[in-house]
Amino acid sequence: MGVLENYVILETGIPTRLHFTDHRIQRRTITDPITGEAGSRNVLVLEVDRMDGRPVIAKYSTMSEKHAAQFEPYLEEKRYRDYEFTITRTGEGFLTQYSVSVVPKT
Amino acid sequence: MSSGMARKTRQVETRMVSEYLLKNYSEFPYMMNVPLGALPSDILEKEGYQRAIKLLRPFRPAVDGVVILPAHFLVIEAKVWNIVNGLAKLPLYRSLVPITPELKQYMPRDVIMQLVVGWTNGNLEVMAREADVELKVFCPGWLEEVVEGMHNYWTREYRELREKKLRMREYFGVE
Repeated sequence: MGVLENYVILETGIPTRLHFTDHRIQRRTITDPITGEAGSRNVLVLEVDRMDGRPVIAKYSTMSEKHAAQFEPYLEEKRYRDYEFTITRTGEGFLTQYSVSVVPKT
Repeated sequence: MSSGMARKTRQVETRMVSEYLLKNYSEFPYMMNVPLGALPSDILEKEGYQRAIKLLRPFRPAVDGVVILPAHFLVIEAKVWNIVNGLAKLPLYRSLVPITPELKQYMPRDVIMQLVVGWTNGNLEVMAREADVELKVFCPGWLEEVVEGMHNYWTREYRELREKKLRMREYFGVE
């Protein structure tokens, strides 16, 4: 995993521990890689201040509704600030899955 | 959906398990969408652990949630639709927990099971007791609407309302 242009990039199969400080929903225009058609999608963007225990200034974003739903209960009152999330991405394309471990922040 | 991510499809059960875990087990470590079972030794030897994990992920069953309690793994399936499927899976998933490499660091722990549902019925409760699964009804406000819709799904009134909604979405170009 790493940070590219300020965005956290998850490496397939490698767990990455993140701490979030803020979030927003962005509307973005996305070109479908299969049909080539442009469409707009909501993207959940989370601000990251720690990655694998190291301080960073970065963003973690997802267009996956299923992955966003894993974070949804934490968005209210920015509850994610009290937890650390270890995210493991597996699979590619339509088969992409996200396993998320949640540990109270120490 | 308060995050504004939802469109025609809704990730109801994913949100449900995440909210249930946060509300009930926030003082413990827990995991969502956890792959279960061992990695075949021939693939492990040939590819190594990290690559084997990646390659095999689509072929391994995944449980909705695992809570690391002090003496137990609490294995959770959350269901709104197909609730009996969720119940049936749990004892099978339990058998895989002790051989799951992702959980190795927390072993040994006994495994207990919970089925989290938006609604229940007498037959489900009988089956859950028989399967040694604890049944929990979890139905926050946003889920009530989904459960009600599911129960009314085949009624004429609901079908007409749904068709009208879809027509309006199409008319206004709402995804």
